[in-house]
Amino acid sequence: MSLGSYPITPATDILHELSKHKSFGVTTLQAEDEIAGVGAAIGAAFAGSLGVTTTSGPGIALKSEAIGLAVMTELPLLIVDVQRGGPSTGLPTKTEQADLLQAMYGRNGEAPVPIVAPQSPGDCFAAAVEAARIAITYRTPVMLLSDGYLANGSEPWMIPDVDDLPLIDPAFATGPNHVSKKSEDGEPDEFWPYLRDEETLARPWAVPGTAGLEHRIGGLEKGDGHGNISYDPANHDFMVRTRQAKIQAIAKSLPPLEVDDPSGEAKVLVIGWGSTYGPIGAACRRVRRAGYHVAQVHLRHLNPFPRDLGEILARYDKVLVPEMNLGQLSKLLRAEYLVDGIGYNHVRGLPLKAAELAEAIGQLVGQAEGIDVDLGEHGLNPPADHEEAPLS
Amino acid sequence: MSIDIGTPSLRTGTELVPAADGPQTGKEFTSDQEVRWCPGCGDYAVLKAVQSFLPDLGLRRENIVFVSGIGCSSRFPYYLDTYGMHSIHGRAPSIATGIATARADLNVWVVTGDGDALSIGGNHLIHALRRNVNMTILLFNNRIYGLTKGQYSPTSEVGKVTKTSPMGSLDHPFNPISLALGAEATFVARTIDSDRKHLTAVLSAAAAHRGTSLVEIYQNCPIFNDGAFDAIKGPEADTHLLRLEPGTEVTAGGRTWAHDPTAADPADQFAVSRLGDTAGPLGLGGPIPIGIFRQVERPTYDDLARAQVDQSKAAVEGTPTERLTRLINAGDTWNVGG
Ligand code: SF4
Repeated sequence: MSLGSYPITPATDILHELSKHKSFGVTTLQAEDEIAGVGAAIGAAFAGSLGVTTTSGPGIALKSEAIGLAVMTELPLLIVDVQRGGPSTGLPTKTEQADLLQAMYGRNGEAPVPIVAPQSPGDCFAAAVEAARIAITYRTPVMLLSDGYLANGSEPWMIPDVDDLPLIDPAFATGPNHVSKKSEDGEPDEFWPYLRDEETLARPWAVPGTAGLEHRIGGLEKGDGHGNISYDPANHDFMVRTRQAKIQAIAKSLPPLEVDDPSGEAKVLVIGWGSTYGPIGAACRRVRRAGYHVAQVHLRHLNPFPRDLGEILARYDKVLVPEMNLGQLSKLLRAEYLVDGIGYNHVRGLPLKAAELAEAIGQLVGQAEGIDVDLGEHGLNPPADHEEAPLS
Repeated sequence: MSIDIGTPSLRTGTELVPAADGPQTGKEFTSDQEVRWCPGCGDYAVLKAVQSFLPDLGLRRENIVFVSGIGCSSRFPYYLDTYGMHSIHGRAPSIATGIATARADLNVWVVTGDGDALSIGGNHLIHALRRNVNMTILLFNNRIYGLTKGQYSPTSEVGKVTKTSPMGSLDHPFNPISLALGAEATFVARTIDSDRKHLTAVLSAAAAHRGTSLVEIYQNCPIFNDGAFDAIKGPEADTHLLRLEPGTEVTAGGRTWAHDPTAADPADQFAVSRLGDTAGPLGLGGPIPIGIFRQVERPTYDDLARAQVDQSKAAVEGTPTERLTRLINAGDTWNVGG
């Protein structure tokens, strides 16, 4: 893999760490700026490496145009955004989740990018592997949305067996894939860089050095299949939809969501993403310990959403969406599923507090079930140290 | 603290790029795409020269990569049947850096213009030059923005009247050669679109150089800046040109010396780059030097980066799986349960 990166808090530790691992064939380039970092990664991807660039929100803003190029050229690229407080320089050393919409939409044109978010420090490894799987399988830039809380946090991590890690096959193109009019035997005799795999809609990855597959790609719109420059209106419409459909098709490869609803009687669902997993889980357990019902689901994939998400949301009377932003996931859920999610939003640069969130969940449970809810010692009223005795 | 990074044996030219099986023709390097520059554009001449010169390099076509940014000249890769990427404005050197660092077996070219390389992409250009990444940069200098239909560029002369400078441009222009020498580039040259022989000779030397080669090509834009180079073309050309060869006698600042592109100290080469007034209309301020200003050897960034990877690999034992297992089991670990 090839990392192109520029130092930025709180993402620099990844550059530090990877710089130590050259013995694994890792190349790290400390670029002259954020744009050069992603540029070098895109170049490396064209040359057949997994291109990686690591940064925080301000860096993503600078890389946006280049990420659009990777969308257009359909090259595997892993972009790690370790989110920090914004906007602008904001709170560089504090945590926040306010780059979700930037990751989702922060490019010119229709430029869909898959988004994967780890939920805990120990989950970062698996989330990175998953993001790499998507990038390589679907030939697309992928955004891995971490944040300052995860980057600076730690927890016990179950060490995986290396043999159990998934093998991600780059499946480089090795020969012609299209039958031209000149073909005498009906066998493929030319290479079309935008001829897609029917299942994944991914295009072939043909790396320089492969004879007979010479081709040119770039930021201009491509003709379907042959990939030559095309200004044809119908082709553009088709290609915009196809790039979108390719990203949507990733959902077919995602496992069903795991809903944590121990009693099966919850009317309230709490849904979150990323580093809020810990506090949300703790808050839900507080509510349950106080004797009430609440369900929790946590999203690792934010684009595309898992296929069963709509059906899960529909099962509950009320949906609470805690986030360290002003309601970015809420907006996406409302747009996608017409769900009137209720935001629980804190942007203090700090992780959510379980006891406070538990009170908010409790109130909503009260409304949903038409009952009075008092969390007592499980809410904000001390003593509130309950994590020592987990709910069995 | 700094440490000796070691000086690996200097690589030369294109020795790591696989050679072609036999003679190749310019036609093989020509793609099936229709060339779309304005009639009379200087880009045609450069394209023809490159198409007919590439076979002489003797490299496998599939191991050649052209990367461009945005601008008229940046359409170049579409017309060559090699690997290519038409990227985004100003960023071609960074993309080419990624390609060259990832693969030792590729011959990497960047095609850019005065706006692309010196304005929006100025940062990437100087950093590619100082790192000495193995690539050849063709900087088409027409002293105007052509694709966006005629605005002054970072090489336009002061006072240039364009659509965005009706009262004359206020910007003092870059001299790309001086800039490249200031960035400690290892190969710096200038040539002219209309002089096929000179162009080909300079390109051959640039391609054979290991490291970043910067070739400024004076290129006429007949639509938006016609005649910018007329003084140094045509019958009178030689009175307005200083053709640099090793040993060419140069006089400046009351001193006369023999031009030496291989001198490690770039001071004299810089002095040569200041000859002729490249900030004003060409030809008025004395002969304009063309040819190779500087050609020195320094290890390339990509060769050094690969050497560090190789060195690290050689220093560890075990299969990749064993090593990864060791890595993730390092540090504080403990067993839980049975
Ligand atoms: S605008 Fe000028 S530089 Fe561009 S293609 Fe036309 S003549 Fe050439």
